Amino acid sequence: MSGQANGSLLETITLTKRYRVGNHLFSRHNKVVHAVERVSLAVQEGETLGLVGESGCGKSTLGRCLIRLYEVSDGRIFFEGTDITFLGPRALGPHRERMQMVFQDPAASLNPRRRVGELLAEPLIVHRRGTRAEIRARVRELLREVGLRPEHDERFPHEFSGGQQQRIGIARALALAPRLIVADEPVSALDASVQAQIVNLFLDLQERLGLTYIFIAHDLSVVRQVSTRVAVMYLGAIVEIGPTDAVLKAPSHPYTQALISAVPVPDPAAPNRRRIILEGDVPSPIDPPSGCPFHPRCSFATDHCRSERPALAPQGRGWDVACHYPLGTT
Amino acid sequence: MSGEAKASILEVRDLTVSFRTERGLVRAVDGVSLTLNEREILSVVGESGSGKTLTVLSVMGLVHSPNAIVEGSIRFRGRELIGLPDREMRRIRGGAIAMIFQNPMTALTPVYTIGHQIAEQVRAHRRFSRRAAWAHAVALLASVGIPNPSGAAHRFPHELSGGMRQRGVIAMALSCDPALLLADEPTTALDVTVQAQILDLIRKLRSEFGSSVILITHNMGVVAEIADRVAVMYAGRIVERAETRALFREPRHPYTLGLLGSIPPLEGERPRRLPAIPGVPPSPFAIPAGCPFAPRCRWSQAACAARPPLLAEEGHETACILSPEARAAARSELLAAPVGAT
Repeated sequence: MSGQANGSLLETITLTKRYRVGNHLFSRHNKVVHAVERVSLAVQEGETLGLVGESGCGKSTLGRCLIRLYEVSDGRIFFEGTDITFLGPRALGPHRERMQMVFQDPAASLNPRRRVGELLAEPLIVHRRGTRAEIRARVRELLREVGLRPEHDERFPHEFSGGQQQRIGIARALALAPRLIVADEPVSALDASVQAQIVNLFLDLQERLGLTYIFIAHDLSVVRQVSTRVAVMYLGAIVEIGPTDAVLKAPSHPYTQALISAVPVPDPAAPNRRRIILEGDVPSPIDPPSGCPFHPRCSFATDHCRSERPALAPQGRGWDVACHYPLGTT
Repeated sequence: MSGEAKASILEVRDLTVSFRTERGLVRAVDGVSLTLNEREILSVVGESGSGKTLTVLSVMGLVHSPNAIVEGSIRFRGRELIGLPDREMRRIRGGAIAMIFQNPMTALTPVYTIGHQIAEQVRAHRRFSRRAAWAHAVALLASVGIPNPSGAAHRFPHELSGGMRQRGVIAMALSCDPALLLADEPTTALDVTVQAQILDLIRKLRSEFGSSVILITHNMGVVAEIADRVAVMYAGRIVERAETRALFREPRHPYTLGLLGSIPPLEGERPRRLPAIPGVPPSPFAIPAGCPFAPRCRWSQAACAARPPLLAEEGHETACILSPEARAAARSELLAAPVGAT
């Protein structure tokens, strides 16, 4: 395979990540966690793909696999047309600078003992982006870009509020002028009034710099605000992927429907919506259910669902769903 | 509407919590008064540092720092809690007043089973045999919707999922049929699907045990779903308080407006930009002398240099000097469609 059939910025083919758990070094009885199961997706330049799902569904693991922060167990990743799945550190370097990550907890992702100027200069020095003066100028430009003052480069991370720290995290991701940014729950640790500022910043930067985002979040309304398309994950697999507005308005997968119905609406006068309460918990990814992974919690499940796993395929309304009986098509 | 005088279960008057620090006295809660009626669910909304958690911790008598000064009056069923000897406070805490904390992992000890921890709590407050306390614990786990409760009682906290653990914590809080439940962000660490289950549980608590609830949250969706009344806190003070429907129909304080405006909608048209509140909440060391929100407020004026009192108009209290006309203009500017006007 020589990648890039349709000019996607990023493409995966049956990307799979398994972990072995248990301490039995030589035993064949080790258990395997299926964190990401055969995910195939394509991300186009300039779009934002939202990744949603409950905790433990594999959305963060997938995000990290996509930019090779985690080693992949199986499958392929193409970035800018190049197969980067198994590239060594040296060969990966030039690709890495064009894909960056923004983390959930800005305080934990910034070294507390270094000044903001140093933190932002580090990637520029590592990748030899100019003289000291040029790097200093770039650092100040980055601070301005994310809405901070250039003279803040002398300060330490703890002197900033949570929202400002996240701005620094974003500036650091922008330092090498990437094309793709994977943002893992970038606003969920922030206060409500600050969340909106950072969401706006993401949208502004995308417009100004033509960035492509993979935006991982559990908050559906935030994902809706930033994403062009949304992918819903359950037990390591994508169960539905399509245009954000269409999917959230009329979901095809029963799990997507349940997820949306659980979001509390900030309107006490709203007519009582039918809430689908999912029974029980997400099953363990060590021993996933047979057939469709959602069948034990699905109210529409049949014997067919229990025996055969549905493939992610177009369902007739223009986007892909992994369900034998997608909603709204029958 | 709460026309007739309902029996109140909790009366907080001019609660002030301050801390002695190297940089002088810091007021984290500044003159908070609130009344909670029997069977009422009151939501307290605010950002981190707004004083909402300290307010309920004061009710629990859990502000222990030697540098903390708690002043004012907290009456539970007419009985003053501030200054109550530790022995007596312990009898109330976990019994008539119970609390659910945000992080169930830190609220449970990792070295005992869930059943043991609940049974221990029951025996601390009631004359139960070990066997009866254990049976009670299992029944409680069943009542909060834990599948296979007798098996779950034998499990350690780390063996349960986040949602199950939080149910365990709720079961423990319910173990002595509390008249007053204080819940501090009980669903923030949980997925929306589990959050929906927990909110149902809190509603059931009120309908079956007749408990009164103070629910701290920053999620306006949760408020809209569950609360009878809302108090919005900012920088240690209550800046707006109303019945839930009234607050969403006609938010009056610019901070409340900003909070509501900054929520991205889940349906309808998406705004190109969210009307975010500029700036950050003030540090407790530098709370403005007048209206604490003035530095972030688009409508602030010279008069905001004086502290605005919390004034009631038809039961809707606001600490803001803007005229009704100015508020209406602010509303139509910030909220695309008036929330709840359907």
